Amino acid sequence: MQFSSTRALDQLDVSIPNGVTGLVGANGAGKTTLISLALGLLKPTNGSISVLGLDPTSDGPELRAMIGYGPERNVFPDDLRAYDFVRHLAEVKGLPRDEARSRASDSLYLVGLGEERFRALGTMSTGQRQRVKLAQAIAADPRLIVLDEPTDGLDPVQRDEMLNIIVQVHRDFGIDVMLSSHVLEEVERVCDHVVALAEGRLVAQGSMAELAGASGGIELELVELPDRPTSIDDVAASMSAAGVGVRRSGTTLSVVGLPDDDLFDLAARSVAEAGARIRTLGQHRRTLDDIFSGPIEQAQP
Amino acid sequence: MSGRGDAQIVERGFQRYEGRRSGVPGAIRSVSWESIKATLGLGRPARTKIFPVIAVVIAYLPAVVFVGVAVLIPGDILQPEEVADYPGYYGFIILAIVLFAALVAPEVLVSDRRNGMLAMYLSTPLDRRTYLAAKAVAVITTLGLVTLGPPLLLLIGYTVEGAGPDGIDGWLWTLVRIVLSGMAISAALAAVSMAASSLTDRRAFAAIGIVLLVLASPILAAALVEGADLSPSLRLIDISTMPFELVFRIFDQPGNFPELSTWSVLASNIVWTLGGVVVVWWRYSKLVIAR
Repeated sequence: MQFSSTRALDQLDVSIPNGVTGLVGANGAGKTTLISLALGLLKPTNGSISVLGLDPTSDGPELRAMIGYGPERNVFPDDLRAYDFVRHLAEVKGLPRDEARSRASDSLYLVGLGEERFRALGTMSTGQRQRVKLAQAIAADPRLIVLDEPTDGLDPVQRDEMLNIIVQVHRDFGIDVMLSSHVLEEVERVCDHVVALAEGRLVAQGSMAELAGASGGIELELVELPDRPTSIDDVAASMSAAGVGVRRSGTTLSVVGLPDDDLFDLAARSVAEAGARIRTLGQHRRTLDDIFSGPIEQAQP
Repeated sequence: MSGRGDAQIVERGFQRYEGRRSGVPGAIRSVSWESIKATLGLGRPARTKIFPVIAVVIAYLPAVVFVGVAVLIPGDILQPEEVADYPGYYGFIILAIVLFAALVAPEVLVSDRRNGMLAMYLSTPLDRRTYLAAKAVAVITTLGLVTLGPPLLLLIGYTVEGAGPDGIDGWLWTLVRIVLSGMAISAALAAVSMAASSLTDRRAFAAIGIVLLVLASPILAAALVEGADLSPSLRLIDISTMPFELVFRIFDQPGNFPELSTWSVLASNIVWTLGGVVVVWWRYSKLVIAR
């Protein structure tokens, strides 16, 4: 996807299965552009895209009737009541008036705004507006909802509640979800699949089980010792010299390249030789962060 | 006490919907109606109703007065149409119509771009073309409140007073002319005001632009024709006069500029209308909507 001066997406080949899919990447990675392409808001300058078996460019109206969209922006008509906003958009998506009315209420109750549904949008908090966006996305009973940064601006408690509702929407009603986020932890928590982007290019895609979770390697967190300021570097150097891959992040060393038991033994020896002190030692759990950090390079034996 | 067969579910909760969907026509209808409500302040706080109410009162008040005068003064002294005829009536309410046009189009178009509703609408079955169609229907319909309603009130008032057009044919023909006149004025002003509203993201700027255009074009036309002594055809650039001049021609009257042919007046209105449509489409086809 080429804008006048920017290539927002480049050589992207993505396949997204049913379920809850996380679209991750830093700001400017191309997440919103990909969403806009999926909705037919933008036309790809090259290549093709298919969503729910339809082409957003040529079958846009038919496709968008099956998609609920929650944009990143939190700006809505301030004078409009939440109920009227959700009802109106459900009508625009094709529901008869009576059905739109009842489903607007049902959706707002589902997202926890039943008692607040007749409040003007302009008087609502960021958290409430995020819920209204989710309510309008599901009100017309779509097959897929696309949520752009649905937890943006929420405090931790609100974020947990929002993520629980998103999971509930898929689990209880079978509605597939694609959500974009730059908070990797929340994507790991709720998503079945992940598409990771960086600077418009695909970094990784696959199931969460493939991309995160238990993996080979250990994590060794050391204590910074004032009288031995080089102790952590000494441990890292000692382990590298044994031919394993070591990456330092602050006081933590991530180590790969041997069976875990051997790595534990190696770590214990290296720490003892360097006179360092261990704070924690355990198996490394792969996270989405690792996708963006890249693999740990091993020294050649 | 209800019998067992009377039981019904009153709280059903969120569930799947398998029924019929109205598609693009339903989406256009819904967006048009919601835009009309927003413009008139229906279902909105009282402060949003003030300006539309003032404009509507200004537009209808003369009709109410004229019908009242026709009722109070015996017909053999003063014929109702000597008080105000249909095309001449617009001369009394031109200010209200222009102000209403300056209110309606910016509210209908600019607000959506500013508050994110444009992206929301374009994520529904609507695309840019059908979205603009829905908005045009809203603007023309709302303008019809002040371009069509008052002459219709005049017609009904005169008819009830027994001083309406002669015969059913004459009455229907007058009705057709009123509808054509209202539609012609609404279409031209809708296109021009939507064009101005598509060029800025500030409602106030759009409104001021519309008023300035409507004020400036007759001044420019008069300067060219009377000041510079150029061709009278240059009157045709006057957007604030030509729609109302066309109304005179629809009613078979020479109007204020008899030197202009009816065809040239009609062409002027068509050019202004199509020109506005082209500007709006050009602007919206270039608009990048990515969120």
